[in-house]
Amino acid sequence: MVAVGNDRKAINRLQAMYGFRALVEDRYKRAIEASQSGQPIAWAMINWWAGDAILNTMDVVTVYPENYGVVCAATGSAQTFLARAEAEGYPAHLCGYARNCLGYAASMKAYGGIPPDAPMGGMAAPTLLLGSGGICDARYKWFQAMARYLDAPVWTLEMPHPGVHESLQPGAYEQNISFIVHELREFVAFLERLLGKKMDWDRLDETVTDMLETNRLWHEIMALRRARPCPAHSRDIWTCLGAILTPASDAKAALKLFHSLHDEIKHRVDNGIGAVPNEKYRLVFAELPIWHNLRFFDALAERGWSFVFESWAYHPPKPQDLSKVSDPLERIARHNYQWVTGYYTGAAAAGEWWGYFAYPYLELVRDYRCDGAFLHSVLSCRAGSTHLLHVRDSLMEKLKVPSLLVDGDMVDTKLFNAEDTLRCAETFEETMTHYREMRQKEGREW
Amino acid sequence: MAVAVSKGLARVKEIYQDRPRRVKELKAQGKKVIGYQCVYPTLEMLTAFDLVPYRILGDMQEPITKADACLPTVVCPFIRSCLDLGLKGRYDFLDGVVFSHVCDVGEKTAHIWRIYLSPAYCHFIDVPHTTHKAALEQLKEQLKEFRKTLEELTGKKLNEAKFREAIEAHNRQRALVQALYELRKPDPPLITGTETIQVLMALMSLPVEEGTQLLEEVLAEVKERKPPAKKMARVLLWGSIIDNVALVEMIESLDANIVIDDTCVGTRAYFGHVARTDDPLDGLVDYYLVQIKCPRTFRETNTGALKKDYYTDLENRFGYLKEYAEQWHANGVILQSMKYCDIHGYEVPSMKDYLDHVGLPNVYLEHDYNKSALAPLRTRVQAFLEVIG
Amino acid sequence: MTKVVIVDDAGQVVSRVISYTGAEHRHLANKVMEEALAQANVPFADLTYIVATGYGRLNVPFADRQITELTCHARGVFSFCPTVKTAIDIGGQDAKGMKISNGRLLDFVMNDKCAAGTGRFLEVIAETLGFTLDDLGEVSLKSTQKISISSICTVFAQQEVVSRLSEGIAVSDIVAGIHDAIASRVARMVQRLKVEPEVVFTGGVARNIGVVKALEDNLGMKVFIPGNPSLTGALGAALLGKELVHKAAARGEILPTKERRLGEATFFQTVGNQ
Repeated sequence: MVAVGNDRKAINRLQAMYGFRALVEDRYKRAIEASQSGQPIAWAMINWWAGDAILNTMDVVTVYPENYGVVCAATGSAQTFLARAEAEGYPAHLCGYARNCLGYAASMKAYGGIPPDAPMGGMAAPTLLLGSGGICDARYKWFQAMARYLDAPVWTLEMPHPGVHESLQPGAYEQNISFIVHELREFVAFLERLLGKKMDWDRLDETVTDMLETNRLWHEIMALRRARPCPAHSRDIWTCLGAILTPASDAKAALKLFHSLHDEIKHRVDNGIGAVPNEKYRLVFAELPIWHNLRFFDALAERGWSFVFESWAYHPPKPQDLSKVSDPLERIARHNYQWVTGYYTGAAAAGEWWGYFAYPYLELVRDYRCDGAFLHSVLSCRAGSTHLLHVRDSLMEKLKVPSLLVDGDMVDTKLFNAEDTLRCAETFEETMTHYREMRQKEGREW
Repeated sequence: MAVAVSKGLARVKEIYQDRPRRVKELKAQGKKVIGYQCVYPTLEMLTAFDLVPYRILGDMQEPITKADACLPTVVCPFIRSCLDLGLKGRYDFLDGVVFSHVCDVGEKTAHIWRIYLSPAYCHFIDVPHTTHKAALEQLKEQLKEFRKTLEELTGKKLNEAKFREAIEAHNRQRALVQALYELRKPDPPLITGTETIQVLMALMSLPVEEGTQLLEEVLAEVKERKPPAKKMARVLLWGSIIDNVALVEMIESLDANIVIDDTCVGTRAYFGHVARTDDPLDGLVDYYLVQIKCPRTFRETNTGALKKDYYTDLENRFGYLKEYAEQWHANGVILQSMKYCDIHGYEVPSMKDYLDHVGLPNVYLEHDYNKSALAPLRTRVQAFLEVIG
Repeated sequence: MTKVVIVDDAGQVVSRVISYTGAEHRHLANKVMEEALAQANVPFADLTYIVATGYGRLNVPFADRQITELTCHARGVFSFCPTVKTAIDIGGQDAKGMKISNGRLLDFVMNDKCAAGTGRFLEVIAETLGFTLDDLGEVSLKSTQKISISSICTVFAQQEVVSRLSEGIAVSDIVAGIHDAIASRVARMVQRLKVEPEVVFTGGVARNIGVVKALEDNLGMKVFIPGNPSLTGALGAALLGKELVHKAAARGEILPTKERRLGEATFFQTVGNQ
């Protein structure tokens, strides 16, 4: 890899983030301890808070292979696992996280345990796999494919993804909620059979309450990033993403961390402290981060590029008042559904029919006053790439905000050219300036 | 009305060459034609409302020039081709379109189609990905929603008797396709793989009754005529959609006949049967979610099993292929997928494990859904035939 | 390259010719055949059976049968290494892996889409560095710390090489990195076959000692290099032809053959589509 940037700290990092990172590291450790003491371990897809609270209440230690893909990419270990997956016969266009994990699982089987060089001490062998039917196909096909290396049973947690138009039909909302609730009930029943113990509903209720409070806080934190200069850079969010997207796996600890994060960011906003000291351009990043080269964003920060939010699905759903809903599963369901459909009413009003993935950027770019969008098109991810051309076009058409479309990969170092991208980025500054002037001439808000 | 002259396979070839011709005639007579993508939209429902279902397919001989403006090149070229044809106006004759969450890119294309082609009627069915009880219920509710939109479109209520008739009509057509496949069991098979694709693509371009009548003509004709040449290999063809004869023709130009397939212009679209149930929707849900064998559905024979053993798992997932191979006397399996198809891509190593396990020689081909790029595949296929010969 | 090998009834090579392939395959096939016949000193009519193989196998007007390069390679490799289980061939346009048992092809993988896993990749890099293809191997042996090439594509790798040169990295380390890049790529592909020894490595690239060593490192086992690696496919074709004739004779049959005439072939003549 050709390194771009240097060790100068161009981004003013948040201290609270290190607590989140420690939490993620701790999970890998706890899973290994659990495997020694016979406690159940789940490998789970990021499930948009549908399954985590349930697993946690059933005393299952959960690690997230998508996050492990991030860990491997960031520590430079991914290439070995990717090569292994390729040698196993998995086509190179499949999800980078998945190929990393399949390579890891294959190595694990061949070695008869955690391979010696596995970063973070490795992922301990699972008792069960929790796939997801939502957001992308890899998330259920990958776990099905893992049967080649692991004998653990797989549960695939369904998640509806209706169209905007269809979701707004009378009765559709409640019907989809009822689907998720039923699905969660089946999942709980499966876990009870697998683990030979009953669900503690009171404990689940408490975890869900913490989880929803976390979401409220998270949403507030994200809103604080609208400040100029932006107090928190995407890089900080990425560093802790593993914990941010899965707080219910450690509900109490996570809630505490969100409080400290909130306080630190609030302090910055009150005192006009920015994540990038000289904020010249405010950008949004979509979708999958360039995990293997995060230092690249320091190089951009040196040029005054501030990434003020990232990837709609890494963004908290709009909070709802669920205090009157007594069934914890139903509260999970309503929250989970909000993740996908929370933007749909706005989308319909704007005449936009791509209600998740594409439309959220229109709202968020406007709310966060962005000058540009950095769209990372990933060869190995259909879900994260299909909408980017439409996002580019609608941001330009409706908001006069330009986009920089960049080819790369979240795991595979070989598909991203940092030097070229940096060259394009320099030119893109002129484009952003041009459209900023145009927006001002047209009397737009930013 | 134009005089219908040709019959049987001759008519099949005419339709294959110009798929929309017949439905355009019907449209001129006042019928409404609804395009559908993949095999998940409920054809029975469309037929019951007196709408003509017309399958949206691509064209691997036509360069993709317009779709790249709104769909990146890292997605399945078949869907890019479908959208490209749409953007070029080739599907303008449709009165509406139905999409489903067949796969991720299929879903996204539904949104793009709605945005860029503004169809007068457009519906998206959110088909779940498992066979959980909740998923079956969800699909049933989805079908009720679909029905509602069709009632609005046609201005009439769904007639229960017509609905049951439509289900029977599609069942009858499926049964006749299965009868056609029976004619591929002898050696040499009485009908080639190339011809079979043409027949099925014709069926996907006609109202069900008309298709069934054509199918009856084809059956009679094929039974009568001199069988094609005997070949060394009898091949089972698996994988992503094949909606052009080119790939099959290339294989059959060598010393092989395709005798059975597991593709969606093939057995996946026709090998099931909708059971007669008190609520007709229950039979449909079972057919579409449980019976259709596309890898987009995470099918488990024992949902929520607590133990998993790899070869039992493989048997559950792929056992039907062994049955196909046995019944059609296949001595080799060609696995193929177009590039960027995730749901087939994840399947390949396990599929090869299974076929090796049951002693079926196999080869995997990845291609670009591009007729001019088939030449290098010829060497692989020929080498495979040399391996099994 | 167009190659001809003629074997006698005992399988002994009586003639071998290699020639550059031009745009007009058929014309060349005639020319090369004439040369081979002259070398063997036999008239054309005396050839019992002719097998054509490789990409141009359909363009040899006088061939009695077409067999793929995979099957022919497997047979060719077996002739000089009877214990071979795995064969790897890297030529100018493609790379292939073959699983072999008793000279019979059992399974294969191949790459003919992307230059990065083929000899073409080395040609481009050699040109960039100003070496001949044949020198690359020796150069890489002087490497003390090979670099890692991160680009997946030939064109980008070429740019990367240029930029590493400008950073002052030793040429030998760069070349060693390039050899490792191609070897690891081919190794990943071939490992799908579950590589077992004896491994034989053929094709033009097998003459490059640097790639040979890199391939051994990547596979974690020794590979065997035959004396004249680029003729393997043609030799296999000749031997298979001989065996077809013998098997037919054992059944009391005589295989049909084309007319033994080396006239100018017309472009529209169809071959191999009987």
